[in-house]
Order: sequence, then structure tokens, then C-alpha cells
Amino acid sequence: MASYLLLQAANGVVVGLIYALAAAGLTLIFSVLKVVNFGHGTLYMLGGYAAFYAIRLLGLPPALAVVAAMIALFLFGIAFERLFLTPLYTDKVERKDEYAIIVTFGLFMLLENAAIVVFGPFNRSAPSFVRGAVHLGVLAITYDRLIAAGAAIVLLVLLSLFMTRTMIGRVLDAVSQSREAAAIVGIDARRYYAVAFGIGAALAGGAGALIGPIFTLTPTMGDLPSVKAFIIIVLGGMGSVPGSIIGGVLIGVVEAIGVAIYPDADRALAYSSAFSALLLVFMLLVRPTGLFGRRHMRME
Amino acid sequence: MNRLKGIFLLASSAVLIAGAALAADDTVKIGWVGPLSPPGGYSAGKEMKWATQLAVEEENKAGGILGKQIEVVYEDTKGTPDQGTAAMEKLVNSDKVAAVVGEFHSSVALAEIAVAHKYGIPWIGTDVWADSITAKQYPEVFRVSPANSLIYSIVGNWVVESGFKNVAIMQEATDYGVGAVAVLKGILDQKGIKSNVITVQMSQQDFTPELLRLMNVNPRPDLLMMIIAGEAVYPIIKQACEQGFAPSKDTAIYSGGGPSLEKELWETTGDCAKYLISEDVALPTAQWNDVAKSFSANFQKQFDRPPTGTAMESYDDMKIVAQAIRDAGSTDPKAIIQALEKIKYKGTRGDYGFSTESSPAWAFHQFMKAPIMLIQYDQVKQSPDQAPILYPRDWATSKDIVMKPEK
Repeated sequence: MASYLLLQAANGVVVGLIYALAAAGLTLIFSVLKVVNFGHGTLYMLGGYAAFYAIRLLGLPPALAVVAAMIALFLFGIAFERLFLTPLYTDKVERKDEYAIIVTFGLFMLLENAAIVVFGPFNRSAPSFVRGAVHLGVLAITYDRLIAAGAAIVLLVLLSLFMTRTMIGRVLDAVSQSREAAAIVGIDARRYYAVAFGIGAALAGGAGALIGPIFTLTPTMGDLPSVKAFIIIVLGGMGSVPGSIIGGVLIGVVEAIGVAIYPDADRALAYSSAFSALLLVFMLLVRPTGLFGRRHMRME
Repeated sequence: MNRLKGIFLLASSAVLIAGAALAADDTVKIGWVGPLSPPGGYSAGKEMKWATQLAVEEENKAGGILGKQIEVVYEDTKGTPDQGTAAMEKLVNSDKVAAVVGEFHSSVALAEIAVAHKYGIPWIGTDVWADSITAKQYPEVFRVSPANSLIYSIVGNWVVESGFKNVAIMQEATDYGVGAVAVLKGILDQKGIKSNVITVQMSQQDFTPELLRLMNVNPRPDLLMMIIAGEAVYPIIKQACEQGFAPSKDTAIYSGGGPSLEKELWETTGDCAKYLISEDVALPTAQWNDVAKSFSANFQKQFDRPPTGTAMESYDDMKIVAQAIRDAGSTDPKAIIQALEKIKYKGTRGDYGFSTESSPAWAFHQFMKAPIMLIQYDQVKQSPDQAPILYPRDWATSKDIVMKPEK
């Protein structure tokens, strides 16, 4: 039994790391812009398709296609922020929170339905990074999953280093802690919002591009990861990148173990998302700011 | 000046309204319902719409019906019952359609037929399998696809004859999935074949935890069945194969409901779909009539993919309604319903007629001779019409009732 649970946990860690990558982007956007990006799942989806078409149309190898997808989504994120979110920083919009929700939700609706028209309704699958699998007992972990998990770890570490070791990263971190305090020391937060949104979009797109060879590409593929990303960022703590990593791994493991041990085996799989939701509820009761959340964080 | 503007506006409006009314009289309107966007099965919906468009093109080129062109009003039901209801209300009350065809989701169909029954408008289901759709015995409701009881009694008999002892069934928790599994389990239980039913979320993509669990039970299932109409089957097939679970010499794999017949099966699963078993609601190629051959060629030419059984159902559905209106000599709903009850139509899937039997309940207005066969892919990138037929045995082109890989 113990080895069986370990195998389930191993699979959960791998999948959880990829979701953590998408969540890290969401938490960055929220922490800097104070905007809950309801369109985050569609950015994930766009990343998957961007990589797919970079391989098919430009002939890029899968690994480079992931990078290309991230660059494309970074630019898309910047463009979206400049075009649609700048009213948030002016007095033109009275109800800023509602405006942000409507705009990002509108993004989700528009992009998902546009994707059906542009990419077609039929499932796609990106080519493998490397074919084959590693066998741990009964469990076979494909090289694609290991590469995706490894890439997610690298990207998350790079993000952490970016946030702590670069000037722009430290500025974003300062703005995420307090806009007012950042303004006092001369930081104009509005100049960095586009960068934050771009990086957040790039991370979501990277997660989608990494998942392409593992699962299937569909216009709605971002729906469930979007929900999981929200759970992860609340679990790990809003605005915390390490929290997103831990939260993502926790979600992956809890769902896998939950399916393995839930007494009603026939319903266990259908309840997998409920296990992570229960974990979220527990965390909110015990530690409402999440594992690494900041107590003073609030919508400004 | 303002008075002149007002008069001009009034006159323009009157001309527009009169024009619209005249235009409406020039066509026979038929409603089409189906999923064209999420959360519905939009890939199947798209294929159904294409097939309907082909049928309408042909009918209109041949002069239409009752001297008028056919105009189809397409409504996206998104796979949700409330959208189905809204679509039907609009088609009946606003568009004033003579009849409605389509639908892919049984749950949505059940909502739609309630509206059809309320207004007495004929509704002919294209690819909706829940028994309850025709079991309600609404006079307005007909069905060209098989019912769950028809399909899964055949599938159940195949499982029994193939000698499987321990079956794992992954089902979608919908009217289709639950109904299908009820029929299937009834047969398996009767024959003492062990079965476990696992409910899946349609939006899920990682099934490895469940597959690991199944591989860990003793004895391991010797057949993994997916009663899932959506694209969730693709990751299940791929992941079951990656884990070495199925298809293997110890465990066969079956997929019901349609996605296993699309060409995307191979793109998304690689060679994992070799040895996949599926049902097909088309006739074997060897039995195709001239209508089937012509439709298949046209569909392939226009849409760069072979038509699935679902596409054939959709094409036949529209043609049948057109024929019924012709036979009725009018667009009066009662006359169309009477014509449908007596119709004899040669379609891509054989000779259509609708039963008026009330027992079993689902037989009412059901196309009882709907073809059903089980195929198994024995080559990578094989199309369904090329795959060996396993069952029924009098149609079989495979000497084995089920083929298994060597390892």
C-alpha cells in the first residue's frame, strides 16, 4: 500500500508542478496589479496552441516552441494590459474591481470562442519532447511529464531569482507589497503593470505549451487549470511565488492520493477536484492568508 | 423637416417589415439544434452541422421542397439543457420553423423535446441515445440514432461472447452515460461478469491516478470500457497505453460514443489507439448503398475528412424531414408528424422507417433498424470504415471476436 501511495504522490507532484507554473503567473498579476485575471485559463490555452503552431508552421523543435510560446504570450499580455486595463489607473472608471472582473472575464469568453473558430473544434496534440517513459514500479512517468515538471521548476526558480535579484523584479515585489509605500520611494507602479501582466501571461502560456504533448489541446483546455490556479494561489498565499510552488505540489498530491484512498472507488475520480477544494477550505479556516501569504495584503 | 424625417422613417420601416415577411414566405424554415461551443461537444456538433449543410445544398439544388428553398436556422445549444430550451423557444416562436432536427447530448435533447411537445412541433433527434427520449412517447419526437437499449445490448452481448470476466467501466454522469451503463451492467450482472463503474469529470485531463488504482486491484480488469461521448476519451486512451495497462494482452480497451471514430484520435493518441474497440452507427462499407457512397465522397471532398456515423445520421435526418414535408404536402406540424410515421426513406444508413410500437417504451418513433457494429483498429491511422468488424458476427470481417496485442 505504501509504495502504491508513493507512486500516486509521484504522479501528483509532476502534474502539480505544471499547474503551479500557471498559478505563479496568476499570483504575480494579482499581487502587482491587484486584478483577478479570469482570463488566465485562456492564456494557458493560447500558450498550448502557440507552441503547437510554432512546431507545425515554423518547424521549431518542441523545446524552442515552448520558448516561442512564452515570448508570444508575454507580448500579448503587455498588449492586453495597455489596451484594456489602463482605465483602472485613471479616474475614468469608478468601480475598478468590477471593471477588472468584467474585462478579464470578457477576455476569457472572447478568446475561448475565438479559439474554436480559429483553431477549429477538434482536439490536437503537440509532438513529444522525448518519447518513452521512466518506470517506477507499476507507474510509468513519460519523459514528456518529467521534462515538463523539470522545466516548470526551472522557470519557477528563475522567476524567484528575477523577483529577488533584478531591479525590475524588486520593483514588482515592492509594488505587490504596497503601492503607496512604493510611490513614496519614487516607484511609479503604473510603469510596471504591463511587465507584470506580460510575465504572468508568459508563465501561463509556458504551462500550456509544456502540457501540449502530455494532454490534448482544445479551446477549453484552460478551464480546469484556471480553477486549480485560483485554488493554488489562495492555498499558497496570494502574491507568493514559493507559495504557488508548494500549493501546486500539494494540490497534485492531494488529488492523486484522494483518488487512491477514497472509499467509494467508483466516485473517487469524479471527486478529485473536490479533494483540493476541501484542502482549500481547511486552509482558509486555519490560515486565511495561505501558507506564505502576507497579512496586510488587500485590494487597494 | 422633422415631420418629413418621421414619415421617411415610418415608410422605410414598413418596407423592411413587408420585405422580411415576403422573404419568410419564400423559404421553408427548419430548425437545427446542437453543440457548437463549450461546454458542449462542439467537434461533433460541427460535423453534424456540416452534414446538414450538405443535405440542404443538395435539396435546394434539386428545387427545394414545396417549390421553396430550405432555410435552416442553426441554434447552438452549448451542451446545456437551459440553452436547449431557449433554442427551441426561439426556433418555434420567433423563427416559426416547420420542424427541428439535430442534437448530440441526451440531457439537452430531453429539455428540447419538452418544448417540442408543448408546441406540437416535430423534433427528430440526430445522435442522442438515452432511452428516455423516445420512451416519453411524445407524438412529436422521432429518432434516427439508436437508443442505448439497442446499442448496449449488442455491446453487452459482445462482452459476454468474448469471454471477458472483469470489466472496468468509465462513465460520464449524463443521461446518455448513466442510461448506457444501466443497460450494459444489466447484461453483465445477468451473466455473472464482474463490473466496476467509475464516474469521470468530462473536463479532466489527467486520469493516471484512476488508471493506477485499477492496475493495483486484484484481479486486474480484462476490459476497460469508456462510456464517454466527449474528448476525455483521448487522454484516457493515451494514458492507459503509457501505463502499459490497455490495450495489452491482459486488458482490452473499448470506447463508445463517437470521438474514437474521428481522425483526431490518431493525432492525439499516437499509436495507442491500435487495438481500440469502438461501436459505429454506420453500415459496413461493404453494405453501403449509392446514397452512402455519394455522401461520403462529397463530405470527404468538402471537409477533408471521412464522415463518421454521426455525420451520416445528421445528413439522413435533414433529408428525412425534407421528404416528410414533401409527403405531407404542407408545413403543418401535424401533417409532418403523420408523414414521418409512415415514411420510407433510403438513407446512408439503410432504409428508414419509424416504429409506432409502444413496447418497449423507447421503441416509439425509434428507427429500430439503426445499424450498430463493433470495430477494432488493427493498424495505426486506420479510418473506421477500414477497421475490421468484430460484431455482430454475421457482419464480422475479423475471424477473432476480439484481437489482442502480443504484449
